[in-house]
Amino acid sequence: MTRKRSKHINLNRMRKQFSAKPLAIGIASVFLAACTDNRQQATIYTSAQDCANENPEQAQVCATAYQEALAEAERTGPKYNSEQDCESEFGPNQCRQVERSSGSFFMPFMAGYMLSNLLSPNRYQYQPMFTSYSPYSPYRYRWIGAGGYDYGDLRKRNYKVRPDAFKPKPAVTRTIKRGGFGSSVRAKSSWGSKSSSKGGWGG
Amino acid sequence: MFRIPSEPRKNWQQKAKDFGFSFHSMYGEPYWDESAYYQFNLQQIENDLEDPSVEIHQMCLQVVDKVVNNDALLSAFKIPEPFWQGVKDSWRKHDPSLYSRLDFAYDGSGPAKLYENNADTPTSLYESGFWQWLWLQDLVDGNQLSRQADQFNSLQEKLIGRLHEIAGHYQTEQIHFACCQDTIEDRGTVQYLQDCAAESGILGPFVFIEDIGLGESGRFTDLKNNPIETLFKLYPWEFMQREEFGDYVESSQTNWIEPLWKSVLSNKALMPMLWKMFKGHPNLLPAYFEDELHLCDHTRIVKKPLFSREGANVSILEKGQEIAHADGPYGEEGFIYQAFHPLPKFDNNYTLIGSWLVNDQAAGISVREDSSLITQDMSRYLPHIILG
Repeated sequence: MTRKRSKHINLNRMRKQFSAKPLAIGIASVFLAACTDNRQQATIYTSAQDCANENPEQAQVCATAYQEALAEAERTGPKYNSEQDCESEFGPNQCRQVERSSGSFFMPFMAGYMLSNLLSPNRYQYQPMFTSYSPYSPYRYRWIGAGGYDYGDLRKRNYKVRPDAFKPKPAVTRTIKRGGFGSSVRAKSSWGSKSSSKGGWGG
Repeated sequence: MFRIPSEPRKNWQQKAKDFGFSFHSMYGEPYWDESAYYQFNLQQIENDLEDPSVEIHQMCLQVVDKVVNNDALLSAFKIPEPFWQGVKDSWRKHDPSLYSRLDFAYDGSGPAKLYENNADTPTSLYESGFWQWLWLQDLVDGNQLSRQADQFNSLQEKLIGRLHEIAGHYQTEQIHFACCQDTIEDRGTVQYLQDCAAESGILGPFVFIEDIGLGESGRFTDLKNNPIETLFKLYPWEFMQREEFGDYVESSQTNWIEPLWKSVLSNKALMPMLWKMFKGHPNLLPAYFEDELHLCDHTRIVKKPLFSREGANVSILEKGQEIAHADGPYGEEGFIYQAFHPLPKFDNNYTLIGSWLVNDQAAGISVREDSSLITQDMSRYLPHIILG
């Protein structure tokens, strides 16, 4: 007999009370575990020195890649209007102020960088990595890419990743203005039946 | 089709809490009501609801095709002129749609009659796709219902699959989700879609509609200043098109869910247009634009605003006299008229069937009851089963 209803629903995903599992962890497992043959070895280092310690022959590449990752971190890393917002995501003293001609904002320090193909100096690839020390953040003690991907526990350093893990991430931009959507709702709500209705602008 | 009284699950309110179903009762009134359920047989489901839903959806797509190629019709549909090209482009590019809900009057026999198509921002999705599914599962497990009992409800399965396809279409691993502040029902609906997205391996950050920003790059941004590339918005196109950020809808290069071409379908002008193109179709009610009212010889007609939610501003006229009316803030863009066809009554309740589509596939039904002929947002939601 063919059933006309969903065969299976993941109840753990739907449960809201006990499972505060952040979304990103599920993604990371897809990202890392989607086993295809083109995955490549990648290692996360916390500093250029950390990289050089493990790859003494490649100290120069470690240093260059670190600088490149820093620049990439500034371009694509998370940005906040206030230090408080940044610290609540990344922890106390984990954020710095960045000044731009268009204004200033706060972003977390780069906590490390992921490197691949270190041994072929012209083709090495890098990505900045962040982590959080905030007890309020699902990213606490985890490696997070600029795009929000959760690579796993801070203690884990060696990964097999798909090549697109190194694709440049879209730049985070400054927001010029907010609040340009939603005025119709304010207008229609003032019509006054909200107290007796569930509200909502769906149908 | 029967309405059958049923013993509510002892622990259902605790369960609702565990699963985050927070809008099951509002202001002391029940919304989710499991003191009864509706029973259909498989033939009623497949022949009278599922097949017609798929067919009507195809007819609706033919309407879109006609409207986007005719500026006079775009104007009759009250789509602001600056959006005409965007609507046309999104249709020609086949921008993928996620879901819609067709509302039917149906009493178990004869053709279901289409009231309207909620193609842009349909709600009651969580109750349909998940909560009534869980109800059936519990009642079968508790031997309150036969193991043969089924439900027309593959919504969640299909939503997960479709979100995956849409992410693939736009080559993205992330879809932003948005609804307005201060509405727990809409937030619940969007949270449900975020859960479905997560289940299909997509990152689904949330932003309130009011918090959306315009970035230096020209893209819309979320509260963390991340660019919004693909956005599911539980917020009607007809509002967005008339608001300040409407000017940036196209230049922001956002991938919209629902796509812009859906603004043709979520518009009540669809109803007279369907009647023009498919006059006499068994599932359609005669419907007319304001300037065609002389063609209408029905004694009772329903007057609906072009843009309206949840039955607001709908009135029922008999020989030109208003005999029922629902208040609301809509109507400034004009009205359409539809032949009156009453909702069937089961134990003093007026019953409305919502038939869900995910993209172009029928995906299940929802049943709502109201004490009034005009179903509004305080109507109650009842589960259903298929047996026999």
